[in-house]
Amino acid sequence: MYVKRRALTSTLIAYAFLAPALVLMGLFTFYPVIYGAYLGFTDYTIADLAAKEPPRWVGFANFAQVLGDPLFQTGVWNSLKYLLVVPVLQVASLAVAVLVNQKLPLMGLFRTSYYVPVVTSIALAAVMWDWIFQKDGFLNWSLRLLHLINWEGRFSWLLNEHTALWAIMLVTFWRGLGYYMVLYLAGLQSIPAELEEAAVLDGANAWQRFWRITVPLMKPTILLCSLLSTIAAIRVLEEILVFTGGSGGPLNSTYTALLYVYNKSWGNMLDANFGIAGAAGLLIALVGFALSYLNFYLTREERGGRS
Amino acid sequence: MVKKLLAAGMLGLGLLGLGGLAQQRTVEIEFWTYYLSPNFDNYIKGVIADFEKANPSVKVKWVDKQDTLERDLTAAIALGKAPDVVNLWQDSTFAAAQNGLLTPLTELTTQAALESAYYPNVLSIFTVDGKPYGFPWYGWVDQGVMMYNPELLAKAGVDPNAIKTTDDLLAASEKIKKATGAYGWLPPVKDPNGASFLGRFFLEGLSIYDAQGKANFNSAAHVALLQKYVDLMKADVIPQELLRKEAFQLTNELYSQGKVAIMIGGPQSLNRVKESNPELYKKTKVVAAPLGAAKVQTGGAMDLVIPKASTKKREAALFASFMTNRANQVKFANVVPIVSTARGSESDPNLRPKDPNDPIEVAKGMVSGSGRFINPGFKPPKNTDDIFKNFNDNIEAAFLGRKSAKQALDDAVAFWNANAK
Repeated sequence: MYVKRRALTSTLIAYAFLAPALVLMGLFTFYPVIYGAYLGFTDYTIADLAAKEPPRWVGFANFAQVLGDPLFQTGVWNSLKYLLVVPVLQVASLAVAVLVNQKLPLMGLFRTSYYVPVVTSIALAAVMWDWIFQKDGFLNWSLRLLHLINWEGRFSWLLNEHTALWAIMLVTFWRGLGYYMVLYLAGLQSIPAELEEAAVLDGANAWQRFWRITVPLMKPTILLCSLLSTIAAIRVLEEILVFTGGSGGPLNSTYTALLYVYNKSWGNMLDANFGIAGAAGLLIALVGFALSYLNFYLTREERGGRS
Repeated sequence: MVKKLLAAGMLGLGLLGLGGLAQQRTVEIEFWTYYLSPNFDNYIKGVIADFEKANPSVKVKWVDKQDTLERDLTAAIALGKAPDVVNLWQDSTFAAAQNGLLTPLTELTTQAALESAYYPNVLSIFTVDGKPYGFPWYGWVDQGVMMYNPELLAKAGVDPNAIKTTDDLLAASEKIKKATGAYGWLPPVKDPNGASFLGRFFLEGLSIYDAQGKANFNSAAHVALLQKYVDLMKADVIPQELLRKEAFQLTNELYSQGKVAIMIGGPQSLNRVKESNPELYKKTKVVAAPLGAAKVQTGGAMDLVIPKASTKKREAALFASFMTNRANQVKFANVVPIVSTARGSESDPNLRPKDPNDPIEVAKGMVSGSGRFINPGFKPPKNTDDIFKNFNDNIEAAFLGRKSAKQALDDAVAFWNANAK
């Protein structure tokens, strides 16, 4: 009886500590998410809001409309392409983390430099990258120095439908590298030094140590980072807004799925269609869920096989 | 203890209630502007103080909104806390009025009163389905004046006084590019907001709609005009960056660096040059702007609207008409080079340039009183966002060589007529 009461008390205390965060999240995260999902099944526009008309239930009509909209299809396709940044970013961040984890002079400086883009405001970064990608910008100039391009045929990287999305992905890569590097670095530093030392004594070379010790022990961090980065990629919007002014150009080659949602709601608020935006948002969330599950599934299976 | 606390609380509430009663005679209205603080704090606060002095029963709470104005307005209306006077502009007024968010001004004043206070051409910008929704406020003209870098023009052998039409301007741009490497003039062909190329059609006297209100901008003359600009971009007489950036912004950037020779627009274009390159600013010369074949100026204006959800519409209308009256607009024009939209401003003695050697002052003298020439060009279609997006996508495809000019305009017209609700 006493034990039971003590367990109850500690549960209550736990909930009391959780309560502030839960209440805030409930109010500002769960409720909007659920309400937004509900709106996806209704006909609700800014005109209804003005006339104080409640949302009208329309079932799956909005989903049919969104899925049939070529602009949304283009958006989903571009968002899926954007996912290609994830593996590259993760491998690079892990590699950089391993490098800056060495005990060499000036390591602090390197770590800081890689982290600078993370804390740089996107507006500032946009000005810089804008200049890099221009027709007479830094990128083309560097490529000419390396004799990699024909100067006469040069173009602005953000104005060619075959390169614009990749150029913006490069910015995402640049912004994400330091962020994931820090997460990986924290993971690396939690690996006990004895393991490495023992492996050295057993004659394992650097590659073997990395592959047999670091990677398996880093799996939880790798899962976390891939998950975060996948979700970020499928929801990319900020970069598109600053580099294209919200147009998703040239020729919709950078029009992402979330830009569609944005343009149906926030982007054109006085003409907003919350039903359509809600439905499109829900569809993107489903894709996000599916990809997250895939991430878990892939990492879990390997871990199971190993143990 | 609890009882005591409750009692104290009740007393406090009671006092608050009484306080409310005592002050009930004063009405507070909330006034939202768009990107005016902190630059124009003195001016706005001054006008508010004058208003409160003349109307002691009304207090004005001023809030300056920036990027989030439209969202905040919608949120405030949804929460039942709508502001009473809001600064919008043509496209936003159009969308808000169509969706039933605004009060038609004829519920608060008469059409005749509005027409006697403002230029009718500007009032018509804010008239949606036959009803006026906005008190016209400060305006601008797209052509305004021509400001140029005399050294670049001299180097190219271009006489600025010989540039009378848009065609002259484009020919001069070609010469300037060839001789100096700098661009001549950057026309808005695909600004991020709106549908700029329609403006090009309008200025050259080409139609946007037919008599039945159907889009018809795909005649041979329209195609030829678009083709002309496409060719100019291909030859790099106008930069490709115009497909991604607002012409006004890009012009400002490049003019200050000596990479653009000519700016067409209102004197406000010179503010940034004055800051970033004072030397060039001093050299800059100002003449009348060339016009297109239609011989008209285009332009636009800000307005003050009263949300339908406002609970103090009468006071709101009183304040909005005060803020936008001629005396206050002329005062504003002397703080920053805006175009006054109040009727009679063209002959207002307070709008003369104060220093004939200062480019901004000269330009201001030429345009501040030109509100009667502001012409929005054409009414945006319903379903504006989707239609303008499609139009811009087609224009872009033509410029990038993915569609012929004819194909692009045919596609845009077809989409427009199928989707304008």
